[in-house]
Amino acid sequence: MLLVPCIAFGANSHQKASVATGTKTGTSLNVPNAAAIKGVVKDETGTPLAGVTVAIKGTNTGTQTDVNGAFTLNAKPGDVLMISYIGYVSKQVTVGNENYLTISIISDTKSLNEVVVTALGVKRSEKSLVYANQVVGGDKLNNVKGDNLMNSLNGRVAGVDISPSASGVGGSVKVILRGSKSALGGNQPLYVIDGVPITNASNANMQPTGTYGGSPDGGDGISNLNPDDIESMTVLEGASAAALYGSQAADGVILITTKKGKAGKAEINISSSYTNDVISYKPQFQNEYGVTPNGNQSWGPKLSSPATADNINDFFQHGNNLTNSINFSSGNDAAQTYFSYANTHASGIQPTNNLNRNNFTFRETAKFLNNKLTVDVNTNYINQKLTNTPGIGFYFNTLPGLYLFPRGVDILPYKNNYGVPQLARNNLLTQNWIANEDIQQNPWWILNKDPNYGNRDRMLINSSVKYEFNDWLNLQVRGNVDRTADTYQQDRYAGTNPVLTQGINGSFIRSEQTVTQMYGDAILNFKVPMKSDFKIDGLVGTSITDNNTVGTTYGEGIGLLIPNVFIDQNVLTSGSSNVTTLPASHNQIQSIFGSLNFSYKTWAYLTLTDRNDWSSTLAFTDKQTYTYPSVGLSLIVSEMTKLPDFISYAKLRGSYAEVATTVPVYLTNQINVNGSGGVTLVHPVPSSTYQPTNTKSYEAGADLRLLDNRLTFNYTWYKSNTYHQFIQYTPGAGSIYTVGYINAGNIANNGMEIKLGYDIARGSVFNWNSAINYSFNKNKIVELEPGDPTATVELTGNGANAYESVLSQGGSYGDIWGVKYERNAAGQIMVGPGGAPINDGKFVKVGNPNPKFQLGWENTFNYKKFSLDLLVDGKFGGQVMSMTQMTMDGYGVSVATGQARDAGGVTVNAVDPDGKAVTKVDAQTWYAGQGGRSGIAEPYMYSATVVRLRSASLGYTQPIASSFIKSVRFSLIGSNLIYFSKKAPFDPEITMSTGNGLGGVDVFNQPTTRRFGAQLNLTF
Amino acid sequence: MMKNIIFLKDKTISLLTFSKWALVASCFILLAGCTKNFENMNTSNAGITDAELKADFNFIGQYYPSIQQHIFGEEGDYQLCQNLNADAYCGYYMSPNNFRGNINNESYSLVDGWNVDVFNMAYGQVMGPIVVNLNNSARVAYPHFWAIALILEVQAMSRVTDYYGPIPYTKQGTAGAKTPYDSQQTVYNTFFAQLDTAVTNLTTYVTANPGLKPFAKFDMVYGGDYTQWIKYANSLRLRLAMHIVNVDGATAKTQALKAINDPGGLILTNTDNAGIQGILSYHSPIWWIGTSWTDLACGASLTSYLNGYKDPREAKMISPATAPAGIAGQYVGIRVGTPVGGKPMYSGYSLPNFSNISEYSSMILINAAEVWFLKSEAALRGWTSESAQTDYETGITTSMAQWGASAGNYLNDKTSTQADYVDPQTPQAGVANASIKAMSTITIAWDATATNERNLERIITQKWIANFPSGGWESWTEYRRTGYPRLFPVVVNNSNGTINTDLQIRRIAYPSSEYTNNATNVAAAVTLLGGPDNGGTPVWWDTNKGKANPTNF
Repeated sequence: MLLVPCIAFGANSHQKASVATGTKTGTSLNVPNAAAIKGVVKDETGTPLAGVTVAIKGTNTGTQTDVNGAFTLNAKPGDVLMISYIGYVSKQVTVGNENYLTISIISDTKSLNEVVVTALGVKRSEKSLVYANQVVGGDKLNNVKGDNLMNSLNGRVAGVDISPSASGVGGSVKVILRGSKSALGGNQPLYVIDGVPITNASNANMQPTGTYGGSPDGGDGISNLNPDDIESMTVLEGASAAALYGSQAADGVILITTKKGKAGKAEINISSSYTNDVISYKPQFQNEYGVTPNGNQSWGPKLSSPATADNINDFFQHGNNLTNSINFSSGNDAAQTYFSYANTHASGIQPTNNLNRNNFTFRETAKFLNNKLTVDVNTNYINQKLTNTPGIGFYFNTLPGLYLFPRGVDILPYKNNYGVPQLARNNLLTQNWIANEDIQQNPWWILNKDPNYGNRDRMLINSSVKYEFNDWLNLQVRGNVDRTADTYQQDRYAGTNPVLTQGINGSFIRSEQTVTQMYGDAILNFKVPMKSDFKIDGLVGTSITDNNTVGTTYGEGIGLLIPNVFIDQNVLTSGSSNVTTLPASHNQIQSIFGSLNFSYKTWAYLTLTDRNDWSSTLAFTDKQTYTYPSVGLSLIVSEMTKLPDFISYAKLRGSYAEVATTVPVYLTNQINVNGSGGVTLVHPVPSSTYQPTNTKSYEAGADLRLLDNRLTFNYTWYKSNTYHQFIQYTPGAGSIYTVGYINAGNIANNGMEIKLGYDIARGSVFNWNSAINYSFNKNKIVELEPGDPTATVELTGNGANAYESVLSQGGSYGDIWGVKYERNAAGQIMVGPGGAPINDGKFVKVGNPNPKFQLGWENTFNYKKFSLDLLVDGKFGGQVMSMTQMTMDGYGVSVATGQARDAGGVTVNAVDPDGKAVTKVDAQTWYAGQGGRSGIAEPYMYSATVVRLRSASLGYTQPIASSFIKSVRFSLIGSNLIYFSKKAPFDPEITMSTGNGLGGVDVFNQPTTRRFGAQLNLTF
Repeated sequence: MMKNIIFLKDKTISLLTFSKWALVASCFILLAGCTKNFENMNTSNAGITDAELKADFNFIGQYYPSIQQHIFGEEGDYQLCQNLNADAYCGYYMSPNNFRGNINNESYSLVDGWNVDVFNMAYGQVMGPIVVNLNNSARVAYPHFWAIALILEVQAMSRVTDYYGPIPYTKQGTAGAKTPYDSQQTVYNTFFAQLDTAVTNLTTYVTANPGLKPFAKFDMVYGGDYTQWIKYANSLRLRLAMHIVNVDGATAKTQALKAINDPGGLILTNTDNAGIQGILSYHSPIWWIGTSWTDLACGASLTSYLNGYKDPREAKMISPATAPAGIAGQYVGIRVGTPVGGKPMYSGYSLPNFSNISEYSSMILINAAEVWFLKSEAALRGWTSESAQTDYETGITTSMAQWGASAGNYLNDKTSTQADYVDPQTPQAGVANASIKAMSTITIAWDATATNERNLERIITQKWIANFPSGGWESWTEYRRTGYPRLFPVVVNNSNGTINTDLQIRRIAYPSSEYTNNATNVAAAVTLLGGPDNGGTPVWWDTNKGKANPTNF
């Protein structure tokens, strides 16, 4: 609707201009006619710049460049184009006879007035920032599209540890900024869109909690967004950056700035991308030995000829992702409109795993009252349908059955007939599988007869009103509603392994959940009008955040009355209900906050912030409020004093900040619960003195630009300690209480982040920029419980399997605990009478999956119309456990077991109970002893080091002069293309859960994929 | 709430202070009411308040279903607390699942992660609510409810002490998570005192309120009939008294006679059997892990006795093997500690008869047959004037009746003895075949001329048969106390020398969580135990310690 007036406005203004410069006798033939001039604006590296204002001097005619840096403007030879862009030196170009202009502008680093978006959406100059922040442009995020846009940050930002979940398309991503800080908290950052927090809610299914799995990852909230709507993402890793967001930001903030309409000519962008996924590694099988007689393992006799079947190929398919998006943008100085629609259709490498997502965005920005009042409303609607999210772990996972299937046996009959009719039940199907075990089912049965469905409807409405009283005072009032409604259902047909279902008629679970977050704030921004070198600005504000969950889960009851009818009234119950009201988790935080910034000349900046929160979850305690300050200083050395010429810019910064996190909901007031097993009357360890978890952090750093800005260098050191941890524990087995909380402890993180960028070639034809980011984080549990240095917190219990994740004093976050070989004093492995390795079943630390350091190396090349972007990244150090390998060894299907049998046994350095040396042990005895799902962890720990070609894209941009289409960009893209180094038998980056537990363990996780594709962008 | 906030203490910058006060004011304006809803907000909508639980005694009664269910536990809890230790050690069951590559409890490699569940269940799920909540809400105000709690506590905790020896017991509720241990003698004396209170309270209530059943809604054992609970308490006392006969004969006799002579009586008919059943879909975990999980099969000792005795109960109790072909149709169990290979290598061996041991079958705690055998032993020891033979034979016929079997000539069978055990397959290379000769020569028919020791073997062997399928924990206790029945040793011993194969396992080691959470006290407990904390050290009442010729008189 608004398209019309703005086009009209553009046309009128041009006519006026042309009239003004022409003769007064009407149409003149000797004055050159204005014609459409096209062009592109690039920076010094040759990267096209979006949003650059291009205006004709002395007129009202102007436009802005699109995402590809292209612009179109009616101008005539002799007109002077004024090119201006924040943070760059303005440039004037006189139009000649050419109809296509390539304009380069260079960044204005002398004054560096680059504006960055900070907490609460406040824009501040880069120079005044007292902490590190890293911005990733929308173009990088969209370079190689994935199912979850957070994966696009992987390897590009220093100090961010990103672990995609192993749950196929639609899966969540675990994002940890500067190390995990909290034992009970989520440890994931707060996501903020245009200054306002959103939720990152999963469906009621949440995340897997143990190695059995069974309940798939419910997907996260951030992945719902349309990446094409995103202008840029800013990562605020430290507490000082986040101090103004309060409790929710204790683990860092990811600020997302979305696109809005731009004043100037209407523009349409169409983007279409297609990618194809193939699994990037396979487990290694032995092919020489067949099925155990009377068994389902592969410890049988040697096959007459080696097995040739490729069960993996018979199962997996190519995954696809087709994303189409279109956006319209238009506007004038008074009002701008942005509309977009995107559709993502993706299918996983596991058949039947599909995702279909539709995103609608409508944003309107307008100014009123003589431009004093700005109103901005952004509405999003998202619908996402996800089918058959793969199970992770042993239960409802296709891979245990696929991998453990006996070698030398034909799997195809089980694929073609995954169910067999039972005559006694009038041909009702029951599962056809070689083994009757809870940990493995027929993979095709699971695909077809244990399906799951998730549906998500999400409304996200942001609005803001800003009134400028004068040029030094404005008031901004904002609000948002983020409402996510999920339904989830998992059907379990009759004939499913009875451990995993209830009764013989099948069963199902279902959940309905609506999470609503409402946020409102009011902020008064001021800039004290002073005519001195000393200046003061700042803000004061108040905010309220309210989170509420409404929902119901429908449990299995004791199964179904009529087989395979998955409706609520067909669920049988006995004695207790199968329906559970989800706890509302209703909580509210009310805050007041303020920030003061003092500056002296253009080289000294001091920032003070303070925030006070009132939290509903502290009700019933002595104190419901807490406060936390921050202070920081930034010095622009290059402006303070004369530095050598090769230093273009030098900044030093340092800050101290505290962030307090409130206690989990209902924890101060635990009451009785009526669950499916009857009423549980709660008896927690009493305490009325709970206080918030508090992180104290220091940060210092430097930013340098050298050699005429060709070389950029950013360095940050940080240290944080998180006190008053909330640690849920099960009191010692002799205790009278069932649950208790320690409100103590100290988890320390320290580390550094380095970014180095260099323009190796900077020319008009060829540009080459190379950038390296490096970071390390060292996490240490300094203390858990002051009174008891031996206290531990179980993040993942072993559930009688081989893996535990445990926090203990002196350890670090994510430590993997498992069983080691029993050894004698000489270090020899002790074996039992038959030769099997002995273990005492006691769990001890066997590794930690967190990388020692991370390195990313990105190279961007531009040659004429071609661009090439290569990102290599590595995570170095850390250890991960493969329970997949452990189980495969126990079943005799792995290549190691075949080689051992060929060699007449496993060669070991061991002693038997009589102290006699043992050098060779029968392969089955050995691997059955250390393998299986509850085997010895020690031999299944692998280095987590992995170096890969994370992504590559080769693009070609064709600006098209004088046609309907303005420009076309075509690119070939790929991700996860090459593993330069990978020592584990799986991708160690993948996580079973994006929660705190289950890190660094592979329990039949879906393999990662290698992705190839192509992308087409059209601008009209 | 707001007025309690002290803003000035952390303020050094007056401007901020000023702005803060300004914001407090705006907070009142913008966020009407501010924090007054916080308590309401932080109260779960999915919870139940104490006030809502007043009706029908729910505020105390709702503890009981959980307490009762967690005596055996369901599924995994039952499996870890009984089936993969006591049930296997007493010869009832052996798993066809090669857990941990066969290096587990069943081959004497004690798995800490399994055995810790015994502590967690008993203390967390049974004792916690009794000692904290019911102690506060029921002990004085509702002594009849408290009596039931005491009986259940004694029932559940007697298993724990018999597994481990010294346990935290009398100091519960006074020491938080760091509870000291008691000697097993103290624990037993406390059991007897608690049963005194229970019987007194119930007798008083029944006398005053005949026919009233306020506990009915929560009762998974007797439908609220307190007179039955008195019989159960007396029977439990008799059982516990007999456990300690070899170490404290005087107390044993006193307590046994107290039980036998209590006017409330004992469990003497099958209709009085104490078992857990019903309420909130509690189902037999034996059925569950046997059918759904296919994780259990019968033990070789069980089938060898039933086969040798041509026991009429055999077909009622267990079902014949289905595979491998050589044993299909016969009753063949798996010998404890057999390295079973992966399923289904041993899955075809004899299983419990799941048409009689079905989904909602009662999980029996004490049955009448056991009480008759206890009375028989009491008579044999000369404590009563009853006929040991009559009590013994009544025990057998009562058990036969429980299974719907006819005794026929069984009571007069003077020749049948335990059969040899033959395993048709050898589990893996390097491991001996599990076949073994019979261990026992004891026959069925009472022999008045035999020594008391021989007749005790008869009594205990029959009691052992009668306590199948759920009485494994009591059967392992009685095996350790008396040395009977004579059971096959483990095929493979992975205890690393801590447990003697012939003497068999004597106890379970304390969970490592106690060493991390309660180190001082568990160290003191090991001193009380009088030997290293492993499976080879006998508990207090275990005087026979597995010797080849036990002496019980």
